[in-house]
Parts: sequence; structure tokens; C-alpha cells
Amino acid sequence: MHILFALKTLYHNLYLKKVPKIRIMADADIKTTVEETNKDYVEDGKNKLNVKCKFCSSKILDKQSANYITQEKQLPLMQQDNNREEGEIQTESVNEFYHVENMYTFENIGFTHSVDNYKYLSCADCDAGPVGYYDMNTKHSYVALSRVVHS
Amino acid sequence: MAKTYDYLFKLLLIGDSGVGKTSILFRFSEDAFNISFISTIGIDFKIRTIDLDGKKVKLQIWDTAGQERFRTITTAYYRGSMGIMLVYDVTNEKSFENIKNWIRNIEENASADVEKMILGNKCDLDAKRMVSKERGEQLAVEYQIKFVETSAKDSLNVESAFYTLARDIKAKMEKKQEASNPPSRSGAHPIKASDMQRKPASWLSRCSIL
Ligand SMILES: Nc1nc2c(ncn2[C@@H]2O[C@H](COP(=O)(O)OP(=O)(O)O)[C@@H](O)[C@H]2O)c(=O)[nH]1
Ligand SMILES: [Mg+2]
Ligand SMILES: [Zn+2]
Repeated sequence: MHILFALKTLYHNLYLKKVPKIRIMADADIKTTVEETNKDYVEDGKNKLNVKCKFCSSKILDKQSANYITQEKQLPLMQQDNNREEGEIQTESVNEFYHVENMYTFENIGFTHSVDNYKYLSCADCDAGPVGYYDMNTKHSYVALSRVVHS
Repeated sequence: MAKTYDYLFKLLLIGDSGVGKTSILFRFSEDAFNISFISTIGIDFKIRTIDLDGKKVKLQIWDTAGQERFRTITTAYYRGSMGIMLVYDVTNEKSFENIKNWIRNIEENASADVEKMILGNKCDLDAKRMVSKERGEQLAVEYQIKFVETSAKDSLNVESAFYTLARDIKAKMEKKQEASNPPSRSGAHPIKASDMQRKPASWLSRCSIL
């Protein structure tokens, strides 16, 4: 886990500081995964394209406005099974996020009421969500790549 | 990080319980999402980005989370808000009469120059209507506040109402800015090269008319 984190930091530092891209062949495994899944979307550690709602195309983030990060989080499913047990919240594990430090960076977004120390993010136009979450301690927001589209 | 917008306005939805404030903020629809995780928790506020005369304006729009039931909306809640949507329900007489009380509450608790607008919501329910459009208009004239009837259900006039409120806030701010530093001194209107070139011509032409 520590090594992963260090690599991630290195990866971001390299891109954020616009250091010429250095191929670290020894770490090819991890780097390749990150790069290959995201080279279409991520550039200089940021979202290369506009980030939009999957369902109604409402613009959530302007291009180049958020930092790409990887972290494992449990996020409630957008559509909860109607046959689930009462009070149960179905979640899935999500690994890739756009990190938004200032909420006013968002173009259009909804914030739910608080649940513990989080607010969930939803589309401002069709209310689909969660497309991510907001951490009330740090005041930072995280948008799940798997819950949005790029264009 | 560089600021990527020109203005940020905090707006509130105020009015009696049941008039449709939450529906105005939460898209009123019977599609699959409304029985989803998000609808069970509810929306606290939304951020929307609009373009007003070439300026990028961020609106942060807040719902009242039931405090309105007990009229416990106090100074803390109004803090920093620049615009308030006063909402009543055209099928509910009491909610209309209470607009006056809400205005008083705002005068006592909010900043004196907060911009206001009155919304007569649920105008799609014509058969159940108790408050005529004319009465809404009269009230608005009395308080010198803009007014429009809306339907959160049919998305009628909701978006344009927010544009109107935002435009009025922006106009007020720009007026204030101009008053505190007149354009001639602030350099807000720098003379462009093209203007300078045009000037002698216009001066000449004026002279020739004389
Ligand atoms: N027909 C109709 N019903 C509405 C409209 N807006 C809200 N409602 C309904 O009025 C009820 C109260 O709405 P809600 O948004 O919870 O009001 P709030 O208490 O002011 O937040 C709900 O049943 C809504 O479905 C509207 O424009 N037309
Ligand atoms: Mg409500
Ligand atoms: Zn959407």
C-alpha cells in the first residue's frame, strides 16, 4: 500500500510539475495500468476533457479543472435494488476519482444533505447520483470516473 | 489556483412548508432516479454555472431543510446570501399571506440589500387555484419585488426566474462597483487602439456638420 501511494505521488508530481515524462521502467506494472486506462482522459494529471453526466450530459467539470487520483472508496450504487433489505445501502468499490479542492470549481452539481461526514454529489440537472462525494472535514470533493462521461 | 468565474452568488429558497421549494431545487420528475439513493437523502444545495452577458456566474442555491416549519430561519441561515426566492403555492391562500411574514423575517435577519423575487408556484394546478395571478402581481408591486408564476412540475419559468434574480444581483453589484470607483479613474474601459484611430474622424465629421 505504501509503495503504491509513493508511486502515485511520484506519478502526480511528475505530471503536475510538467517535468518531461520520464519512463520508469522498473515500475512498469503499476504505471502502465494507470496510464493505459486513462491516457484518453487524463493529461498532466488533470481531466483532459469536459466531465459530463452519463444520463443527461449536464456539464459537471470544465476540462483541466480537477486532479486525477486513485484511491479505493465504497460508493452507494446509483440505482438501489428494490428488493434489498430495508435500510440496507448497496455499495460498490470505486478506484478512480477526480479530486476537486474548491467546490466552486464545479460547473453544475448537487450536494446532498450530510450523511456522517459526507455529502454525496449528484447531477444538477437530472439528480442522478452519487457521482461522487464531498468530505466535510477537508471540504474536498471527489468525482468517480466510472460514474461520468468525458467529451 | 486562478479564479475561473466572475461572480459567485448565494441564493436561498424561502417560503412555507409544502409550497414546492425542494421540488424547485430537485428536478421534479417521476423517473427512476427519484426513487434512488439521492432522493432519499435529499439535496442540500446546488451549484450552477450560467452565462450572464458574457460573465461566468456561479449560483449556489440552497433549500431550507424543514426549518421553515417552525419559522426558525435566523440570521445564521441568511448569512452571505445575496438573493432570495420567496415561494408561495397558488393553491394555498395561507402560503400567499405568509409571504409578508417572510419578507419581515428577511428584513430582520438578512442583509439589507439582499435581492428578492416572488414565485407563485404550482401554476399547473389551475383547477385548485386559490390565489390569482393578479394578486401575486399586486403584492409584488407593493413590495417592489419581481414576480413570476412557476411550475416546478412542468419546469415552467423556474430556470428563467433564477436568471432574472442573478441578473438583478449582478446589476446591483456593478452599480455599486461603479459608484465606488468611477470608470474614468478605474480604467475599467481602457481606450482601445481602434477607438483612438476612430476619434479624429468622428471629431472631423462633427465639425464638418457644424
Ligand atoms: N402540481 C404541482 N405540485 C408541486 C409543484 N411543486 C411541488 N409540488 C408538490 O408539492 C409537494 C410539496 O413540495 P416540496 O417541494 O416538498 O415543498 P417544500 O416543503 O416547500 O420543499 C410535493 O408533493 C410536490 O410534489 C408544482 O409546481 N406543481
Ligand atoms: Mg422542502
Ligand atoms: Zn444528469
